[in-house]
Amino acid sequence: MHRRTLAVAAALVTAAALALTGCTGGGQAPTSTGTPDPNASVAIRLVLEPSNLDIRQTSGAALDQILMDNVYQGLVSRTPDQKIVPSLASEYQVSDDRLTYTFTLREGVTFDDGQKLTADDVVWSLEQHRTQKGWADAGRLARVKSVTAKDQTITVTLKEPDSQLLWNLSGRAGVILKKDDTIDYKTQANGTGPFTLGSWKQGDSITFERNDDYWGDAAKVKEVVFDYIPDNQAALNAAQAGEVDVVTGFDANLKDQIEANGDYKLVLGKSTDKGTLAMNSTDKWLKDKRVRQAIRQAIDHDAVIKALGSGQTMYGPIPELDPGYEDLSSVAPYDPDAAKALLKEAGASDITLTLTIYNGYGTTIPQILVSDLNAVGITLKVNAVEFPTWLNDVYVNHDYQLSFVLHTEARDFENWANPDYYFTYDNPKVQELYQDSLSASSDDEAAGYLQQAARIVSEDMAADWVYNGASVVAVGTNITGMPSVNVNERLNLAEIAKSSQ
Amino acid sequence: MTRYALTRLALLVVGLFVASVLIFLTLRVLPGDVAQLIAGTNSTPEQVAAIRGQLRLDDPLPVQYATWIGGIFRGDLGTSLITGSSVMTELVQKAQVTIPLGVMAMVVALVIAVPLGVFSAMLRGRVGGTAINVGSQALAAVPVVWAGMMLVVVFAVWLGWLPAQGFPRAGWTQPALAVRALLLPAITIGVVEGAMLLRFVRSATLQAIGQDFVRTAAAKGLTRTQALIRHGLPNMALSVVTVLGLQVAGIIVGAVVIEQLFSLPGIGRMLVMDVGNRDLVKVQGELLVLTGFVLVIGFLVDLLHRAIDPRQREVA
Repeated sequence: MHRRTLAVAAALVTAAALALTGCTGGGQAPTSTGTPDPNASVAIRLVLEPSNLDIRQTSGAALDQILMDNVYQGLVSRTPDQKIVPSLASEYQVSDDRLTYTFTLREGVTFDDGQKLTADDVVWSLEQHRTQKGWADAGRLARVKSVTAKDQTITVTLKEPDSQLLWNLSGRAGVILKKDDTIDYKTQANGTGPFTLGSWKQGDSITFERNDDYWGDAAKVKEVVFDYIPDNQAALNAAQAGEVDVVTGFDANLKDQIEANGDYKLVLGKSTDKGTLAMNSTDKWLKDKRVRQAIRQAIDHDAVIKALGSGQTMYGPIPELDPGYEDLSSVAPYDPDAAKALLKEAGASDITLTLTIYNGYGTTIPQILVSDLNAVGITLKVNAVEFPTWLNDVYVNHDYQLSFVLHTEARDFENWANPDYYFTYDNPKVQELYQDSLSASSDDEAAGYLQQAARIVSEDMAADWVYNGASVVAVGTNITGMPSVNVNERLNLAEIAKSSQ
Repeated sequence: MTRYALTRLALLVVGLFVASVLIFLTLRVLPGDVAQLIAGTNSTPEQVAAIRGQLRLDDPLPVQYATWIGGIFRGDLGTSLITGSSVMTELVQKAQVTIPLGVMAMVVALVIAVPLGVFSAMLRGRVGGTAINVGSQALAAVPVVWAGMMLVVVFAVWLGWLPAQGFPRAGWTQPALAVRALLLPAITIGVVEGAMLLRFVRSATLQAIGQDFVRTAAAKGLTRTQALIRHGLPNMALSVVTVLGLQVAGIIVGAVVIEQLFSLPGIGRMLVMDVGNRDLVKVQGELLVLTGFVLVIGFLVDLLHRAIDPRQREVA
């Protein structure tokens, strides 16, 4: 009797566990008045924890955000206003034909394990990035022909000019690792930056320690603790209890509450977060441009920004922080009546569409989309799924009608020039303009081509850009040097300081 | 006894084997792919394929299963596909939340069930007894999530006595805070499980009251209560222990739900997250350990039962 009950109980545990796990389918930061404490520990609330620390091949802004600049570096780096500056290279030159980039490697740089950085490491790293199929952003070095070194001079030779090379070298594709390093990249890090990886309590926090052997100016705090608190209310509680010094990824609607006791100031910075409503152009209804335009004109973008309490409207694929931005609000302004007329013209009045969305995005955006589309006669069904399911159905199999994703990456216009991308957008003219932008001889020229391409993408009604998110950061009044621009993407803490008040 | 134990052990092994196959196959049905998750939304199919190869996700299923079970025989539960750390290490770490939670829930369940169960048996046929009975029936039917939310509303939101969610970062180095964090979740599970347990205690008490030796003791001048406590309780304990063994499964399931609700960094929450990440190697290890735990408890309860109660030995 007991035996059978136990077996049943065991089966129930398994079944219940499976069922439960859902097999259903820039402003300026305030300046503090105190004296910075060089032995301080700064606690920063972040939202998304990296699943592992493998900077080589685990994608996701959660890794870039903390590891880039702070632990890992490239020959060049980015400033918060997206300018390229020297980093492990003390200087660099570009040849007149833009096919040869010469970098002078800094002396006296060591990895966290004490080993000296050599030109060999640089050559090896860039070659790995270029040739390892499983590594992130491998395609971004596609125009590189060879990487060679002589003493401290590193030469990158291109097959054809690449206006984005330096930008790409300031990202994942340019991370300099120790040659043939044997660390377990998933749980350890061995970089050259101002911080070293201290400890990682999975599901809770990651701690960085100041790198006392850093080649540049030492970090201004002894330790940084990244506290992963997904829930905004819990983050607010943590702030009010004084457990965190900085809250990133915050909800601007809670501004008054977090500023109430005068210990924090809410700072809004621009970001490259693009809330993208993809429309599958192979769908029976959505292949009709009029239907896509109707959807865009049915959405009240200003109301979205109001509901979010932060961010700005965006009417094309390129956000204000990236090259090639222009105000495209006249392309498809909010106009429900026009939307209804377009739908009628397309014979698509009273249609039903399904929005496939990752369930981690919450309900605000789906609710707005449902009611806005409903107002023009489109019934929107929301299919909220786990992220792997979204990846499988939407990203890999393009099996969707509408999809919403917050694409955070800076300068990712390439996806609109890729007909195989899940956007299902295929316009040879745009692809050509994108290639032109890569071959351009100056940043301005590149931006010009991108601007033309972005306008076409918007005019083709390839998708809707529901909003351009902001970096919402609450900064303790005793904290200085906290970046406020695009902090979801990169969070350079070289300057952060905390004063004892 | 030895023969019985061996038979029982063989059953346990067969049970574990069946569970392992079921777990393995069920997980392979889930849509999505950890390699795609690692590669992300700016990846090429080649990149995903390369990662799949590295993680050996392209091996035929029987090979993958054999690799997993082979590892277990060597005492290795495997390595998480995503985090790269050992599944055992992570289980042990998260158990520091889940086991205390389970034990506390068990204590709450006993504190509720034993006195009230005995009481309602003694008061059988009276208003008080009936009230307890009806109340426990109702409580046992309450979904654990709903109970949790009600408790949060009352004790965390209205009264502000206990934290609504989370676990202190310092963990058990701050025992007072850790216990406080686990109190509401433990009460949530304990109340629901306790209501079920209460009914077993009640019927065990009723049985005991009816037994000769209790009646004899009562006739010798002890009050009915004294007789029951002195002579009936030891007997009742046996059946209560058995039921408690059964409830371990319920408590584990409760913990999975409740850890989500209270965002406690325990095994349950880890399990949900790992399924969400399609870290199948890790999930199958976690599920097998949980299932094994329940089966082993059952096995021990059976052995204990037989050891204590000679009457069972005739029934092989």
